[in-house]
Amino acid sequence: MLKIKLNGLEVQVEEGWTILEAAEFYGIEIPTLCHHEGLSDYGACRLCIVEIGEGENTKFVTSCTYPAEEGLVVRTHSKKIINYRKLIIELMLARCHTSKTIQDLASKYNVTKVRFKLKSDDCILCGLCTRMCEEQMDARAIGFVNRGKERKITTPFDIKSDVCRTCGACMYICPACELRCQGPEPPGAVCGACLNIEYPCLDLYEDVHCYMDPCAACLLTESEKNKNTNNNGGKNVFNKD
Amino acid sequence: MSMKISDICEFESLCGKIRKSKKDKSDELCLIVSSGTCGQAKGSLAVITALHESLKKHNLEQEVDIRVTGCHGFCQVEPIVIINPENIFYQNVKPEDAEEIVSETVINKKVINRLLYIDPRTGKRIKHEKDIPFYQKQLRTHLASNALIDPTVIEDYIGNNGYSALCKVLKTKKPEEVINEIKKSGLRGRGGAGFPTGLKWEFCRKAKGDVKYIVCNADEGDPGAYMNRSLLEGNPHSVLEGMLIGAFAIGASEGFIYVRHEYPLAVKNVKIALTQMKEYGLLGKGILGTNFDFAIEVIKGAGAFVCGEETALIASIEGKKGEPRQRPPFPAQEGIWKKPTNINNVETWANIPLIISEGADWFSRVGTERSKGTKIFSLVGKINNTGLVEVPMGITLREMVYDIGGGIPDGKKFKAVQTGGPSGGCIPKEFLDTPVDYESLKALGSIMGSGGMVVMDEDTCMVDTAKYFLEFLQDESCGKCLTCREGIERLLEILNRIAGGTGKEEDIELLKELGELVKDISMCGLGQTAPNPLLSTIRYFKDEYEQHIKYKRCPASVCKEIVSSPCQHTCPIGTEAPVYISLIARGRFEEAFDIIVKDNPLPSVCARVCHHPCEFKCQSGKFGDPISIRSLKRFATDYAFKTGKKHVIKNKKTKKEKIAVIGSGPAGLTAGYYLAGKGYGVTVLESLSLPGGALAAYIPGYRLPKDILNADIENIRNAGVEIKTNVTVGKDILFNELRDKYDAIFIATGAHESLKLGIPNENTAGVLHAMDFLKNINLGKEVKIGKRVGVIGGGNAAVDAARAANRIKGCEKVFVIYRRTINEMPAIKEEVEAAIEEKIEMQLLTAPVKILTKNGKVAGVECIKMKLGEMDESGRKRPIPIKGSEFVIEIDSLIVVAIGEQPDVSFLDRSKFEISKRNTIVVNPETFATNVPGVFAGGDVVKGPNTVIEAMSSGKIAAEMIDKYLQGKPLVREYKVTRPSMYVEPVELTEEEVAEARRPVMPRLPLSARINNFNEVELGLGEKDAIREASRCVRCDLETEDGKKQFKEEVENVKNKT
Repeated sequence: MLKIKLNGLEVQVEEGWTILEAAEFYGIEIPTLCHHEGLSDYGACRLCIVEIGEGENTKFVTSCTYPAEEGLVVRTHSKKIINYRKLIIELMLARCHTSKTIQDLASKYNVTKVRFKLKSDDCILCGLCTRMCEEQMDARAIGFVNRGKERKITTPFDIKSDVCRTCGACMYICPACELRCQGPEPPGAVCGACLNIEYPCLDLYEDVHCYMDPCAACLLTESEKNKNTNNNGGKNVFNKD
Repeated sequence: MSMKISDICEFESLCGKIRKSKKDKSDELCLIVSSGTCGQAKGSLAVITALHESLKKHNLEQEVDIRVTGCHGFCQVEPIVIINPENIFYQNVKPEDAEEIVSETVINKKVINRLLYIDPRTGKRIKHEKDIPFYQKQLRTHLASNALIDPTVIEDYIGNNGYSALCKVLKTKKPEEVINEIKKSGLRGRGGAGFPTGLKWEFCRKAKGDVKYIVCNADEGDPGAYMNRSLLEGNPHSVLEGMLIGAFAIGASEGFIYVRHEYPLAVKNVKIALTQMKEYGLLGKGILGTNFDFAIEVIKGAGAFVCGEETALIASIEGKKGEPRQRPPFPAQEGIWKKPTNINNVETWANIPLIISEGADWFSRVGTERSKGTKIFSLVGKINNTGLVEVPMGITLREMVYDIGGGIPDGKKFKAVQTGGPSGGCIPKEFLDTPVDYESLKALGSIMGSGGMVVMDEDTCMVDTAKYFLEFLQDESCGKCLTCREGIERLLEILNRIAGGTGKEEDIELLKELGELVKDISMCGLGQTAPNPLLSTIRYFKDEYEQHIKYKRCPASVCKEIVSSPCQHTCPIGTEAPVYISLIARGRFEEAFDIIVKDNPLPSVCARVCHHPCEFKCQSGKFGDPISIRSLKRFATDYAFKTGKKHVIKNKKTKKEKIAVIGSGPAGLTAGYYLAGKGYGVTVLESLSLPGGALAAYIPGYRLPKDILNADIENIRNAGVEIKTNVTVGKDILFNELRDKYDAIFIATGAHESLKLGIPNENTAGVLHAMDFLKNINLGKEVKIGKRVGVIGGGNAAVDAARAANRIKGCEKVFVIYRRTINEMPAIKEEVEAAIEEKIEMQLLTAPVKILTKNGKVAGVECIKMKLGEMDESGRKRPIPIKGSEFVIEIDSLIVVAIGEQPDVSFLDRSKFEISKRNTIVVNPETFATNVPGVFAGGDVVKGPNTVIEAMSSGKIAAEMIDKYLQGKPLVREYKVTRPSMYVEPVELTEEEVAEARRPVMPRLPLSARINNFNEVELGLGEKDAIREASRCVRCDLETEDGKKQFKEEVENVKNKT
């Protein structure tokens, strides 16, 4: 057993644990989008950064890859960390604002604006799917090609893969595939998620298409739904035209 | 020659024989040709062939050796031929010089002067390599060896004490002792991060595992850096010997050289070296009969910059996608195939044999406390001496840029130096005295990096620089981690916005915030250092970012979408030079004149006296002569003058407000003209008897004839401006009276109060002040000067006074006494040239000490010679007196140019107006409003002595602001990106025409016709010349997105019509 200082508390951790594992064990939630217990660690999404060390010499490391060491001082939610995480989420939103997972993270971290041009991509290149395919499905049907901003996930030579069994594990594990709800506002960078706001869809929608659990729409009773339909024919009144 | 040696002693005795025979031969004739990649690119191979042929022709093949070596560092003057034993240094040698080298220098022992290097500072030719200033402040422990060694001949390396360190290690040292020696030496990684090499080796030695690897990292991919290449090309054995010693110390059995495949010569020479090592038994099983086994494999990288990062390099060696992984585990724990691996840079390895041979103390005597030894830098960019330089750690940046690099070309000003390649920061001139070591550079927000050093001059835009490096890094980022991939892309998005003229004020903070994120959070060194160029330029050149964002100005005239054409962008009054130039090229002279007049109420004046800042930024000047923009303006105004074209529509007074303008110089006239154009009643008050201010009083008639000035002023009068002469405010009318009578006042009284020079006898008869002298001439008063006239100063007033004095009857000789050289003279270059043409003697690097008198009159001036020293704040070299060099110039009149005239603001109530220490009126620099509402000021009374065009600019802006003030609008200026107001079809030139195109010579009055008169000297271009010159314009205004679009549309239009 090793002793580390986690957010000011001295705790004991198993040798071989990463900081992320230690934090999870003690109930501290560190966000991450590219880490999965069953897969090797990758360090791509940078969300799980923590601050280690003391005084002048602190540095930022990804908790999913950094091993717990004897005497290590770790802060998982320092002011700098929170600010950096918010900016990372903002970058993710700018790239892939259609993902429910990212929108949820945004509302959790109170990211309310995106200062960059929106890119409607459907992938954040976390690499979960490629590792899933290789490590759990033993297929290696997909992988990364190109570098930098051209980087993408595809099959070799962009053609149908012989080794793909269409098992769907890649989609299962993808944090970006699950689409955000249509929302009351026209598609924008931040959906203004239900976590932060009063549920405005309640009075407006016939069929609210929302993945939040518990979603406000799920609380609607049959009669209220009917009332809505009668009032405005189920049309989205937020459609300003 | 196969001679596998299986015993150290046998090898040592063989080495001894090689070294002895080499020493015996050291007095023999040898031609050394540097032929690294840089030399070959400049034609060294052809030179070598030609030298061989010439030697053959003279039957000297057996007697004279040609040694083909790697790069010696002075790439600027390649190909280099050195003739030993005399060490004669020939530069820029061409194949056709070979015969002469052999027949003259080799056979007749004569030096060929034209092939010698010329010291740009003294102009003297230098015979020996060692005397060249470029080499003098260097400490070339590695690079000097390159000249001694043919890299393809192992015996050359052995002869130069090669492999003696290996023998020492194998015979006498334990691995731990080797590591301790390296630790003691203080050697730190030369790849950039500066990690202590000995410590790194120790980690790897102590790591668990029986199989260990070492790697030589030669994946040198920084733009503008090539020191590793030249070591591998020029002295591969030094690197390989270092690796052997490292492998022995670490306990590694296999080594890899990871080299870019873009370095074919390096790969070739390393492979040759490896073969030779095997032949000698220096590689393989049981090296030199010991039980030390070691093999080296060369791996060629495909050119990804990120593969220089150690974990990415490991992945690449393993055959995987070259991208980094998160550390820990570090390579010393888990490297290639998960085995402990030690990676060092080429230069680090090359240092090892020297440390072992000469000892750790020998190595650590050079350098600073924490950075030891020498470091090779590639010094490139806007610098006179481009090349590889090896310097002791701790040398200052100033020594590198000015002493070794020879300063900035074309007399431009130094702006910044970027160290450490694309991931380094830009260091401004305030920190030029910083010592070059790991910690000092880091403290400035830069890094040592692998040793790239890019020098930038005043024509470099720092926003553009940040953009350039981030573009490179965006392409080279592997894209694995989000912060590096998305972060750099978004940084570029914002930078492009700023450079495109659509930046927002909050963008700088956003750049900083995002830059810090990328720096702190990215996975590997590439991302962690990527924001350095950006963050350092924001740190040191924030003003430039603000200029782009707030004022839509790019001070270096680089950012295309803001600048459009640099000439138009640079002009203080925004004259659309590209438009009128292209109209002249099309023969549309009247329209050209209209375009000029739109922005300039004194076109004929400016066509003669403007210091034309536009021409210094002209794009044509980047690869040839700049367009003679002022001459073209002159042509258009002459055309209008001749054809009687007037540029003024009579303005009607539509507004009741009245405005008084004090001073009828360029600022006052311009403000008056534009205010009249807006319908106000304008009265200009002039204290002299004639209007024009400084234009009328101080500029001599041979530059600006009175009728030309009066024609421009007449047009301004016609535009509705009333000009009252002989009215001095404060005397004839009080300022407060003006306040009562007028609704707004613009003060543009100029700066005429001369300051004294401060040398003895300044009040003697015969000492005149330039301003008084010029004014008296211009006002037609009698001016008395003697036969020999001295003029002190180097500005326009000095040159004007000198040329004017030269025209006065009885004057025989005029001297201009100036303390710097002709290059530093602030006067317009054309004027200085004309003065020299008129046989005015330039006493340069000369400063007056005292005025000598005889019978109460000037008899001479005692001067002292100066030399140029370090740069001062103005970016010019400070003149330093040379002791004991005093001498006397005999003269009977001395014209003194005041060092900085001051305004006379005695008519203003100092308790109400804010006046600076220099007696200038303090205004809001954007609006020219004084602290008293309704009173504005511009021109020299605000800025101190300045140019005509700057004064006009202040008048133009003030007019706009006065209008806003009178209309009750807020005094806010709107800033827009520069664009031409109309499209003119470009003229297409054939390639021949382009090649022949030269800047025309302005026809001038013959010297004989300039005696004792003030007739205009410059005669103006003829129509043919003007059209030809205008056609030479490269039309960079069409390079903006708008310009391209317009061009495309017009081409379509023409197509549709036909």
